[in-house]
Amino acid sequence: MNKKIIFSLENINVEFERHSLSQRSLRNALGRKLNKHKSEKIVALKNINLEIRESEHIGIIGRNGAGKSTLLRVISKVIIPGSGKVYFDSSKHIVPLLELGIGFQPELSGRENCFVAGMLMGYSKKEIEDKIESIVDFAELQNFIDEPVKNYSSGMYARLAFALATDINPQVLLVDEVFGVGDEFFMNKCMIRMKELMNKGLTTIFISHNLDFLISQSNRLIWIDDGEIKLEGNPLTVAEAYRNSDNKLQLVKTG
Amino acid sequence: MLSDESIDRRSLRFTWYYSLSQLNTKYRYTALGFVWNFLEPALYLIILSLVFAVINRMNISDYAVFLFSALVPWRYFEKVVSLVMESLVNGEWLLKKLYVSPFAFPINKLIISSFEFIFSIVVAFVLFAFLKENWTIHLIIIPIAIIPWAVFGFGLGLICAVLYTFFRDVKPLVQMILTLTFFTSPILFSRAVFLPDSFQARVMNFHPITYFAALFQKPVYNAIWPSEIDWIVSTSIASVFLIAGLFLINKYKSKFYYYL
Repeated sequence: MNKKIIFSLENINVEFERHSLSQRSLRNALGRKLNKHKSEKIVALKNINLEIRESEHIGIIGRNGAGKSTLLRVISKVIIPGSGKVYFDSSKHIVPLLELGIGFQPELSGRENCFVAGMLMGYSKKEIEDKIESIVDFAELQNFIDEPVKNYSSGMYARLAFALATDINPQVLLVDEVFGVGDEFFMNKCMIRMKELMNKGLTTIFISHNLDFLISQSNRLIWIDDGEIKLEGNPLTVAEAYRNSDNKLQLVKTG
Repeated sequence: MLSDESIDRRSLRFTWYYSLSQLNTKYRYTALGFVWNFLEPALYLIILSLVFAVINRMNISDYAVFLFSALVPWRYFEKVVSLVMESLVNGEWLLKKLYVSPFAFPINKLIISSFEFIFSIVVAFVLFAFLKENWTIHLIIIPIAIIPWAVFGFGLGLICAVLYTFFRDVKPLVQMILTLTFFTSPILFSRAVFLPDSFQARVMNFHPITYFAALFQKPVYNAIWPSEIDWIVSTSIASVFLIAGLFLINKYKSKFYYYL
């Protein structure tokens, strides 16, 4: 594999402090300082090393709270890790779909939101203008595009967000378990669009609990457990190992 | 200071478009719409001038011109500081989900408040048409005189934004300091009410807002140019605060996620 490196993570560590909102005050901070009280740390990611190259399709699996979403946030630069190095190729259009409709404003119309959110993904006004008709068509929102999105149903909202994220020119797509909204027909449409993009050489990183989808679509699977990469490699092997660990847990629970 | 140029161009493009659409929706859904923007500062200015003309024992129309001249930029300054202060915490919905420059929301607030400032300065001039007799060339300095105010407000706002992100209880503290600054500054009352050698007059010389206020009071009320000292003191204070604000944001930006 001599393809261009898109992301590389070296010895990433992320820790969260265990503190509630009320503790974020000057009074409390002074109190903690005076009492020499150390706040408890939660380790979210431990010593992660990862390299992702162009046109790879990566699947990430793991139990709830294992650190999958934190990892995706580190990759998309939202979280700056406590230690370690993150490199990413800034010439690419990286479209994070940590949830559908990031950057959407309830008061703005669907059309305006396409511009605001599209600009966040790094597109210019012109690029969005050129694609807006095809976005509306794909989302099947011809009659509603000039309505404020606060009046949209959740399906309409998701459709617009998905269409916007995939229509313009994404080169890297980071997806955090966002499918499963919209009706079955739209789901199929989304899947077809995803497969098209993946065949065209789009780099994808998927978090999903749908193992069958990941096995069939990804060419590398990463299993994250307790903030560490437990296993990484061939999708079938990793999925097998993950399933087995899960079975054991379930046996304990039922038995 | 700012890493990754392409990403920051993206953030700026977003900020600009986001600000425009915010202004757009603000007027779309208000019944009085555009008119409200003129009415609100007009009512505020008229009420204040009626009340304080009595206290200051000045001719009402004379006093109103004096008051409006520095009050309009002060209101803008105060708004910039408090909006920028809360901009990071209020931008949590985006900052925790997608990378956008930490300056995107502060700049957005600066744009919104600058827009509102234009409305209130228009209102002030409409009122001046009735109150003010001597219209002089000195008024043309106003678009430049607002720049030190804007820079000072933005810089102070950035410093407060960092503090507010880590310590939510600084908000009332900042508001108290702003109120104190306002009532001790020569915006409500003229320096002429104090004897030249009195304690109050000496305090005024050390009050930073004295120099900022002079940038507006002198051309509008006294019909003279602001002095060199006014320009030097105000621009120096403004630059120091701006540099400190930029420095603090850059220093702590990697920690924001954990505190938003």
